Amino acid sequence: MKEIPNMDEKLNSFIDGELPARQQTEVQRLVHHEEKIAQRLQQLQKCRILLSSLPIAEAPPQILENVKASFARKPQIVEQPLVFDERAGTRHLLGRRLFAAAAMLGLVGILTAVVYTIVAPETVTQGPVAVERREPAPTVDVVKPGPTIVAAPFSGRLELRTSYLPAVVAFINRAIEDNIPSDEWIASDQSNVKKPHALICGSESFNLLLAELGNIWAKLDSAALFVDTEVFGEQVVVDAVTAEQISGIVNQDDSKRRMEVAKDFAVLNNMAESLPGREILAAIDDTMVDLITPPKPVLTSNQKTVKKSPIRTEENKNIHLTITVLGGN
Amino acid sequence: MAEVANMDTYASKRRINIDDAVLVRRCWQGDSAAMEELILKYQNRIYNVILKICADPDDAAELTQETFVKVIENIDNFEGRSGFYTWVFRIAVNLTLNYCQRNARLGFRSLDASGAKAEYSSQSNLALKEFLSDDSSPDPAAVAQNKELYEIAVESLMKLDDAQRAVVVLRDIEGMNYARIAKVLDIELGTVRSRLSRARSKLRQILEAILQ
Repeated sequence: MKEIPNMDEKLNSFIDGELPARQQTEVQRLVHHEEKIAQRLQQLQKCRILLSSLPIAEAPPQILENVKASFARKPQIVEQPLVFDERAGTRHLLGRRLFAAAAMLGLVGILTAVVYTIVAPETVTQGPVAVERREPAPTVDVVKPGPTIVAAPFSGRLELRTSYLPAVVAFINRAIEDNIPSDEWIASDQSNVKKPHALICGSESFNLLLAELGNIWAKLDSAALFVDTEVFGEQVVVDAVTAEQISGIVNQDDSKRRMEVAKDFAVLNNMAESLPGREILAAIDDTMVDLITPPKPVLTSNQKTVKKSPIRTEENKNIHLTITVLGGN
Repeated sequence: MAEVANMDTYASKRRINIDDAVLVRRCWQGDSAAMEELILKYQNRIYNVILKICADPDDAAELTQETFVKVIENIDNFEGRSGFYTWVFRIAVNLTLNYCQRNARLGFRSLDASGAKAEYSSQSNLALKEFLSDDSSPDPAAVAQNKELYEIAVESLMKLDDAQRAVVVLRDIEGMNYARIAKVLDIELGTVRSRLSRARSKLRQILEAILQ
């Protein structure tokens, strides 16, 4: 027997009359020629007859009544005539729409304001802005100055006592003239030596002056530095102060640190004064490694000292010092 | 006359049986008598198909009732794309298959139905043997009178799986053609062919097994 794909399907369709005419003829021919196929067809037909012979059962008579009853049990929806006022409804709807539109516009306005405050630049140019088109400038490497460290301003008074009053005053005057620009100091009157020198200068000028003043320190009977504190009227007094110590105090960048250094010097100088001998002073000077020693000017030729240029910035004039020279005890 | 002509046009447009079309239209207008008429018209056929698939008279009655309740509830949604008859059978078969699946999940299927080999009397075996070995075409009416063959047929049918049983019932008991079966079960025509073929092959094997 030749194997035919889906033979059972074809035989079933043949039994049920669901095959196209051409395939129907083909199956009939096969059944006539192939005994096994004929036998299979007969078995399938018997299956069909067996099932189709099953008696038709009648539905119970109460089905209709039960269906009616199931609907009767369901809650009836009482349809009450609803009275609609179409005009009022239209008005209400229009009002709601207007309200919604107004609310949306308000929200958009608020949102715009918020966005504007975030995005808009601080200065807004009024009116049209002309933009100048410039040719790009040739690139120049500019070395920008580093950040300027402005030292904390120093304010204080230097009180010098000497037995050689006129000579010392004259020396100081000359030193000030040579190292401090004329607009930064008020010279002491020769006739009134007690009139103090008031200096408002920068640290560079001051260091030069201090280096020169160091030469007359041996002529002094005493020297005291009164450093003004941040509290008005309160001062730290450093007795027996040296030029190096003055430099160390004045050149401190931080006022707090300056006070600490001044107090240290005051204590140490007092201790040194009370101790026999002056060796401790040398020891103290050695321990103060962080203090700045003012450079002493060294003339390398017979060239005269060039006066400082008066062109200075106000920011550099952070030293306010009054020098008072008094006669010896 | 004009009304009848209009009705014909309407029925041809909706492609539904003219009698059913009239009744359905009256149902849409709220005529409860038309609905009663439809129920009475189809209740036996629906019940019979359901009973052959689920094999329990009480459940079959309940499912038939449920089918008509759904029909009444959804009659307004019936669009007439298929015949009313097809639509009602689709509802009935879907409800029944869902019921069978639910019962299968819960394990309510009887042991006989689930494949346990039933014991048949020698008289039954003899009747089946005669039926199968008879070369002449047996008369269905005579077969229907045979109580032993009836029992065997019912038992064999219940040994098919639900989907196969539904196809066999719709074809061999309800007498639907393949196209209508495809619409009722919402499957492809080829699926109907293959499923029916497998179902009958399995039935043949079941019957042969009874004889052995």
